[in-house]
Amino acid sequence: MAILVNKNSKIAIQGITGREASMVTKQALAYGTKIVAGITPGKEGQSVEGVPVYDTLKRACQDLKINTSVVYVPPAFAYDAVMEAIGNGIPLIIIITERIPQQDTIKFLSAAKRTDCTVVGPNSVGVITPEDKVKLGAIGGDNPERCFVPGNVGIISRSGGMTAECAWMVNRAGFGVSTCVSIGGDTFIGSPPTKVLGMFEEDPKTKLVVMWGEPGTRYEEDVAEFIKKKGFTKPLVAYIGGRFVENMPEGTVFGHAASMIEGGAGKPSNKMAALRESGCHVAENFNDIIAILQKVMEK
Amino acid sequence: MARVLENVGKDLLRENGVPTPEFFVASTAEEARSAAEKIGCPVVIKALVTVGKRGKAGAVKFAETPDKTAIIAEEILALTVRNFPVERLLVEKKLDISQELYVSITYDSSEMAPVIIASSAGGIDIEEIAKTQPEKILKYPVHMLKEFNPYEAKEIWSDLGLRGRVLQKATMILWRLYNLFVKYDGTIVEINPLAITASGEVVAAAILMGVDDDVLYRQSYLSDKVEEGSDRAWRPLTVLEKKMIEVDKTEAYRGTARYTEMEGGNIGFFCGGGGGSLLSYDALLRFGGKPANYTEFGGNPPEAKVRGLVKGVLSKPGVKGFYMNLNITNNTQTDIVAKGIISAFQDLNIDPKKFPAVLRLAGVHDAKARKLCTEAGLDYHGDDITMEDTARIIVDKMKKAYPEEAD
Repeated sequence: MAILVNKNSKIAIQGITGREASMVTKQALAYGTKIVAGITPGKEGQSVEGVPVYDTLKRACQDLKINTSVVYVPPAFAYDAVMEAIGNGIPLIIIITERIPQQDTIKFLSAAKRTDCTVVGPNSVGVITPEDKVKLGAIGGDNPERCFVPGNVGIISRSGGMTAECAWMVNRAGFGVSTCVSIGGDTFIGSPPTKVLGMFEEDPKTKLVVMWGEPGTRYEEDVAEFIKKKGFTKPLVAYIGGRFVENMPEGTVFGHAASMIEGGAGKPSNKMAALRESGCHVAENFNDIIAILQKVMEK
Repeated sequence: MARVLENVGKDLLRENGVPTPEFFVASTAEEARSAAEKIGCPVVIKALVTVGKRGKAGAVKFAETPDKTAIIAEEILALTVRNFPVERLLVEKKLDISQELYVSITYDSSEMAPVIIASSAGGIDIEEIAKTQPEKILKYPVHMLKEFNPYEAKEIWSDLGLRGRVLQKATMILWRLYNLFVKYDGTIVEINPLAITASGEVVAAAILMGVDDDVLYRQSYLSDKVEEGSDRAWRPLTVLEKKMIEVDKTEAYRGTARYTEMEGGNIGFFCGGGGGSLLSYDALLRFGGKPANYTEFGGNPPEAKVRGLVKGVLSKPGVKGFYMNLNITNNTQTDIVAKGIISAFQDLNIDPKKFPAVLRLAGVHDAKARKLCTEAGLDYHGDDITMEDTARIIVDKMKKAYPEEAD
């Protein structure tokens, strides 16, 4: 078991012929992931790394069973691509594209909400389940085994890069990961931490979750509430990056667009306090994750 | 997002059927005087800066005569409002106000929708109204896949107690404001106050507007009127920051970077990605390091971009060391990053053996990166060390190289 993606994932890549998407397709296939189709309008009949390209998702779905779509389409066309995936009843859509207009994101997320379709991202680096050799997006690059070895720790990260780094810390501590989810660095995302924690709660494989948080938004505060309401009952180890931002003039943004402190809201110190109060293991230093994991996993 | 200056915002309002007071832009006291003469006194004089709370900073004042206008203009032009020096002013007709309303439109992440906040008690901070008169505020999420209809705007104002011709006028204004927010890819539109005048007109007396600066490609009207990234800094962009935006624009969607100058400091900071840079900066401060700037990059930048960015980072006066810390990369080719850094050092004639520098560069193609860096004499680290540990190394190196600068 795992969450979101597993060995039954039948994957289509929207925008497969792009430079980045074709490189990632090659890496995912080499890893063992089943990518069954690619979509790029006007390029039907071509193939990318042996994966057939279709003009429309509709035609791909007529030929193949597809239950997951990865969106690599450039920002100006991403809205239509996501709506195409929703329109064709794809239950899981992972959006890699960065810098999608906010208005477009709100529109497709509210459309997805009405059809029970799960969206991860935008601005996600991907999702990986090492036990089943499934990776979507660039996550893990050309060497996924370096950081992502099978195990019982789930990872949720607002930062794509830190998804890999967190998995590597888990590895260093002597453990492996069940599923790692880069939820995306934007303010408006389809799967905030509480939603993913809900999935990890149901997953028997996952015994503990590591979460990377950042300044801005209410995502970490929501997690604290969620834990208090028993929405997530397994151990959670959290680290909040960007504590220096609190000492900068308000409204300044470092890192991701979402990491803005406004009107006193979104401060890492408040997030850490709320998480601690909910019973979560909050790492003071990132290095501490290793010792905390060893202590908690041994119990 | 990018902040829209009030004069541009008011032009947009007028073009979209929302009345505003008559106004002129002035950059000298004389221009302000002649504006007051044309409009007719009394007038309001406001600093044209992209930050809010101007009133509290003394940058919004009234004048009864053109002469007084010139004197006040002189005073405001000498001000700096929250680090933004005032270069231009807005001179506009002072309204005879009988009631002040409030409207804002923003996106709300819990609703996953645009949310209209309207109040029949405008003119002050909305947070203040929320505390003291919550019954006078109404929050209305708009279903974005449907239309926002005039009748909904009417219901909002009616529920807040507006009646008669004022209700009709305010209805059309709110409906137009929502459409303006959508049309121009707004991130916020705030009208405070939306004034009801003594003669029963409804007029947008002030506008605070932000637009999504990732969307300027489809906003030709705004693209040359707003400054990209203007809402990310707490002061006007510096010359070097503007230059770095240009470097980042070469191959805009490949390998994005953002550069911010910090006060003082001696370590050139070039880290990634969005999260990794936050961690790196925290760690430097914890160990007593003094970063001179903040560059965050990711997304597999080409060599030329890395080269340009690193040269920028090192060119800030006072930079005497270099810290490059990156999370284990998913897609960024570390050998390309290494090449860019090495060529930047060469361009600037910096000898890596004498200049304190630490690189942590693990991930895609890191065997090549290790070889390149080691050959160039750079202190390379891979995934054998954590991100926090490298921060300690650069701080120790700086202390050793410049003992006189250690606190």
